[in-house]
Amino acid sequence: MVPLVILVALPFNGLNGFLLDLLYFTFTYAAMSVGWNIIGGYTGYISLANLGFFGLGSYVAGLMLTHLGWPILLTSPLVGLLCALVAAAVGWVALRTRGPSFVIVTLAFTFIVQFLALNLKDITGGSAGLYLPLLSLDPLLRGDLFYYYMLGVLVLSIAVAIGIRRSRFGLGLIAIREDEGKAEGSGINTSLFKIVAFMISAWFAAVAGAVHAQYLNYIDPDLAFELIIMLNMIVMTLLGSRGTVWGPVLGAFLLFPLQSYLVYWLPSTIAGEVHLALLGVVLVLVARFMPNGLLVTAQELISRRPPPRLETVAVASGEPAQGRVRRNG
Amino acid sequence: MANQLVEGVTPIDEATSRSLHVRGVDKSFGGVRALQGCTFDVTARKITALIGPNGSGKTTAFNCISGFYVPDKGSVMLGDRNISGWTPSRIVHQRVARTFQITRVFKRMSVLENMVVPVRRTGLKAMFWDGIQGNERDRAEKLLEFVGLLRFIDDHAGTLSFGQQKLLELAAALMAEPQIMLLDEPSGGLNPIMIDRLAGYIRELNALGVTFLIVEHNMGFVMRLADDVVVLHHGSVISQGRPAEVRADPAVLEAYLGN
Repeated sequence: MVPLVILVALPFNGLNGFLLDLLYFTFTYAAMSVGWNIIGGYTGYISLANLGFFGLGSYVAGLMLTHLGWPILLTSPLVGLLCALVAAAVGWVALRTRGPSFVIVTLAFTFIVQFLALNLKDITGGSAGLYLPLLSLDPLLRGDLFYYYMLGVLVLSIAVAIGIRRSRFGLGLIAIREDEGKAEGSGINTSLFKIVAFMISAWFAAVAGAVHAQYLNYIDPDLAFELIIMLNMIVMTLLGSRGTVWGPVLGAFLLFPLQSYLVYWLPSTIAGEVHLALLGVVLVLVARFMPNGLLVTAQELISRRPPPRLETVAVASGEPAQGRVRRNG
Repeated sequence: MANQLVEGVTPIDEATSRSLHVRGVDKSFGGVRALQGCTFDVTARKITALIGPNGSGKTTAFNCISGFYVPDKGSVMLGDRNISGWTPSRIVHQRVARTFQITRVFKRMSVLENMVVPVRRTGLKAMFWDGIQGNERDRAEKLLEFVGLLRFIDDHAGTLSFGQQKLLELAAALMAEPQIMLLDEPSGGLNPIMIDRLAGYIRELNALGVTFLIVEHNMGFVMRLADDVVVLHHGSVISQGRPAEVRADPAVLEAYLGN
């Protein structure tokens, strides 16, 4: 609760534009990572379709704005719902596969959506992209608006993740990850559970994509389907701890500011490459030394801490106690 | 002993008990015919054992009944309802639960979480209901007490011994309030004391109206526990009847011992 109060109060204390943007992006990645964790962490299905839903959310929201005049910040939940319905259809097919096959099918979905965005020129503008009307807002308030909007989405994503983890549905997802056949034999409708998890995950990616389209006032197939967005989501979740509520949040809050400061401080000629290399290095280090991520590794280290020192102590009467007594400290 | 109440298990009304009928089931894997016209009955409220030499098709029959395999031919009837081709979860919702030959518990989940995973109810409310509170937790605790695992309730299931994992699998299956329990080699790998305990649990549950179909290699366990015995050989039933009758059947002796 305290970190939330601090985050809510920050813009009132003269947060500069760079930090405001940095935190907006961090919230966006954290919310998307929490969403990805529902299918990739709880359920154990590594989805690359979330990038497709991010881009799809951008385009659907952008088209609603340009054709119908519906403001993105109001329609983004609806955009998320539409993309979740698409996820239900995609998941109905894709979730019949597992492991590497599922990864490939979901990547194919992302490429198909990108391909459509690129080639349906009359609708999407093709490679030239889609320019969105600017928000009629004081530029100073604009940053605050996006900051609070994505903070709200992040809080919602965490609340949903906590609710799922506590529910029978969440237990079912974890059971699917542990042993899908056994889960099905325990009465869990694994197909339904996986599709619902995929839909929830897609909702957060699509909402983030929609808001991001308005943030940039522009969408094109390269920006909306940039592979680095998907890589960030996955690496942040793995770094923090996959399958936990707070792991993806921790990963995003560590990795995104680190990347941003690197890009900020390094010469522009090498910043892009170093930033990408950093992701690769983090991925390798996590896989090699911390496959369970920071949170779970820390929990394991704490639980493996040697027990308190055992020593003989005198009882009140002054006689030595029988045997050894555990003493705290 | 026979009428002792097992806390957490509601006695099954005789009027609602249903028998299982396996009718002419065929199942092949490539060129291997695992089941050929397999036909037998599992009478409601009785303990039926399914035995046979290795490779005779026992586990395949089990998987066809529990929905893990779809029969190529024939049917599996639960009462008067044909359940062949149904998904395993749908069959569990018909109150038919199973355990596995190689014990399968969710090792990285706690014992309590393992208990509350099995579901009988469906729908959004059941899906998003907190599974570890109230009635479900009470039932889980009672059933864990029944199999002597209550003290491990918060431990990871993977830390339990093999025998304890078998008991956990049994207790977790009971959470789905089964009328029929399919146990695949329940005594496999257990020591004699644990086998006696297991036999006691099965008798107590049977006394409450739970029907059992047990695949088993341990003939001593089968003969003292089962009301009926079905013998499979090369995917077909070669004998069915009371344990003493089956034991004396020459076809059974030939299947097990050869000519």
